[in-house]
Amino acid sequence: MRRIGLEAAVFARSTFLQYIALFQWATIRGYIAYKILLPVTQILFFVELGVYATGRQNALYFALGNALQLSANAGIFGVIGTVANERQYGTLPLLLASPANRLVTFLSRAVVNVIDGIATVVIGLAIVVLLYGLDLHQANLALLGLCVVVISMTTAGLGLMFGSIGLVMRDAIIIANVVYYLLLIVCGINFPVSRLPGVLQLVAYSLPLTRGVQAARDAAAGASLASVSGLLAGELAIGVLWALGGYVLFRALESWARRGGLQEAY
Amino acid sequence: MSLARAAWRAFVITIRMRVISQWSYLTWLVFPLLFTAVGLYVLDSRGASSSHLVYGVLGGGLIGYWSVAYIDAGNGIQDERWNGTLEQIFATPTPLWVILLGKVCAGLFFGLLSFLPTAAFAYFGFHAVLPALDPWRFVISLAVLTLTFFCIAITLAPLFALWRWVFAMINGFELGVYILCGFMFPIAVLAPWAQGIAALLAPTWAVKALYASTVAEGPHDFALWWIAAVGLSLAYLVGAYFLYALVEREARVSGELALA
Repeated sequence: MRRIGLEAAVFARSTFLQYIALFQWATIRGYIAYKILLPVTQILFFVELGVYATGRQNALYFALGNALQLSANAGIFGVIGTVANERQYGTLPLLLASPANRLVTFLSRAVVNVIDGIATVVIGLAIVVLLYGLDLHQANLALLGLCVVVISMTTAGLGLMFGSIGLVMRDAIIIANVVYYLLLIVCGINFPVSRLPGVLQLVAYSLPLTRGVQAARDAAAGASLASVSGLLAGELAIGVLWALGGYVLFRALESWARRGGLQEAY
Repeated sequence: MSLARAAWRAFVITIRMRVISQWSYLTWLVFPLLFTAVGLYVLDSRGASSSHLVYGVLGGGLIGYWSVAYIDAGNGIQDERWNGTLEQIFATPTPLWVILLGKVCAGLFFGLLSFLPTAAFAYFGFHAVLPALDPWRFVISLAVLTLTFFCIAITLAPLFALWRWVFAMINGFELGVYILCGFMFPIAVLAPWAQGIAALLAPTWAVKALYASTVAEGPHDFALWWIAAVGLSLAYLVGAYFLYALVEREARVSGELALA
């Protein structure tokens, strides 16, 4: 019991400290630029593109998809930065030298970003309601909220994986950009996954968001928990798998860096 | 002559740095391809006309071209700040605009490359082509577009030097520029007030001319659009003249350039 208490304290301290140290960009202007302006313009861009291509009647399909995809803004950009910046800021050797539980330290990096991801999606949905009149009267709001939480967690799981890769790359933000926009193509955000070639459909269903966005669309249409539970369970499983993969990679790279003295290689 | 040599050296160094920069390949190659893919999937819906697909073919390239153009000017200044060389640039007798001239031209050169992978991807991936290309009008429109990007990049650059947060704001509004300039769909689908704002942006007119040169239908007021684009670009340059004077003065008086 005492052991669990100690690990929980490490988890809480690590979460707090990584927020203080690695959210240095989150000034008021930085937050407005990347958490308000970028989401608003992303939604507007893809909705107007969709309206031009398919007509005004489909605006909500694009609006909802892109509002939900915003969770990846925090889950991918935020988490990758939070893991990979340790190397850039020269603090990776200190982290690797500490006796702290690696799993606890690793997972704590996602917590603030998950909360941030939920906040971003809420902002996105509010924009969609205001600008495009998304009617949520028929929606299962509690289920929609659950979908948003699950999507934010699973995209953070993917972020943990690519954040670990970022430990051995100079410009981790490049991975973040590619992954973020790749999700726009393959996860059924702007067009159904069924339109992709077979191989890409496999990729789509091995990534977070695909099932989560489908579940959220159903929830917005009033579906019950029972009808989307399979999608949500699949979404959670995919997120856990990516996070675990990230942790295994993190440990492998740690071991590799220790052996070669490469913690500060840049 | 010495000014031309300084601009040329800035151009060469920027090209060299772009060749070895991973970030550069993201902006001119990967990023436009990803947008082309999304654009073509959305625009290639059942019953879509060829004029719709034109926006998918050229849209990704335009996005890449713009991204490289403004990022080269913006990041060019930020990189100098982070590398600790911004003060040296201001201390040299060569005016700031000359150095930026070389940097921005190098960015435009790289940005133009964006059209190659996106056009190839559209052709091989979606069998999408430009249906009624008028080569001369296309080339002139592209040249006018290049002028508009050049003028905007040159005008924005001193703002990046003065205030670090400006780059974050413009970066955050990047997709807003895609919307207002009609990079991937015509601005006619926007609300009237948004079209009013779009009309104040020089690239909007050049992009309009560029797309009109690839399709047979629709209005073809090329001369009017080119004049509007060039006129607005020159107006930006007038504003830039005062901005550069302000930057020179502020940088030397306050001595806080690296901290801005």
